[in-house]
Amino acid sequence: MKTPVSVLRLPRGPDPNSRGFDPNSPRFLALCPTTLSSSSSSGAVDEEEQRLRSDLRERFLRTLLLMTDKQVEFNMHEKVRVRARFGASDIDVLNFQVSGLETPLGVQKEALLRCQDVISCSFEL
Amino acid sequence: MLKWRDRSPQQWQEFVNQEVCVTAHDQQSFEGRVFTVDPVSASVVLVSFPETKRPSVKVILGHAVTDVQILGSGTKESESRMKSLFLPDRTQVLSADELKSRRENLRVWLEKNRVPVTEDGDDLRVASVLTISAPYSTGDCTCANEIILARVQSLVESVPGEQHASLASI
Repeated sequence: MKTPVSVLRLPRGPDPNSRGFDPNSPRFLALCPTTLSSSSSSGAVDEEEQRLRSDLRERFLRTLLLMTDKQVEFNMHEKVRVRARFGASDIDVLNFQVSGLETPLGVQKEALLRCQDVISCSFEL
Repeated sequence: MLKWRDRSPQQWQEFVNQEVCVTAHDQQSFEGRVFTVDPVSASVVLVSFPETKRPSVKVILGHAVTDVQILGSGTKESESRMKSLFLPDRTQVLSADELKSRRENLRVWLEKNRVPVTEDGDDLRVASVLTISAPYSTGDCTCANEIILARVQSLVESVPGEQHASLASI
């Protein structure tokens, strides 16, 4: 593996005031679309809808689990493609933590990719 | 038609297990079978099984999806084939005797470690908050409290005298 370059930019740490998945947190409201309020017309959350949500989310979490520690190719804007070892995602799927990110500037040992910049990521099993 | 991100879980669910073509920004398109759509970010997870290569998984982030077209429908078989990639493989089927001995072994080990455990039918209950069901491995512990769960799981993993099949294939 190529020698990693020194860290160029440190990412901002997590917001110390909010914990977990809080739909009223300023971070969530500012950065995420309001997925929770879109479909509940009567105000009360439909049980069936909630069950579907949990099911879909569980499958997605298993996808992330499967992706951990694998070499993933990230497809970003302007046809930029980078490869890295996937580490973790945050709860709102806003950032991906990766290691060994291969960039034209060199190999970044640890990096945080903004999901806004990523179009897709793919990996093989 | 609403934007992809604004659709409801029911609408997303209709795409699961279907062969689709997802169009994204930059006019890129991706084909595959939908495994899931994340309700938080509306990201689409596609799985494909090419003939000559290994199965591949693509995650297209929700903000980038412009359109999803169904190309073909899926079957129960395609669903289970996809699922087998993601869910842990429980191929080991234990007999009733083996299960009983595993349970007893685990119960004794937990008691040795001063963990309050009682038998509740086929399950083991730890401190009345955590349940361990058959086949009594790390993946079978259920608890609402993460800290207790983590502690008990590490104990279950280190139980002596067992040949642990690695169930955590993910």
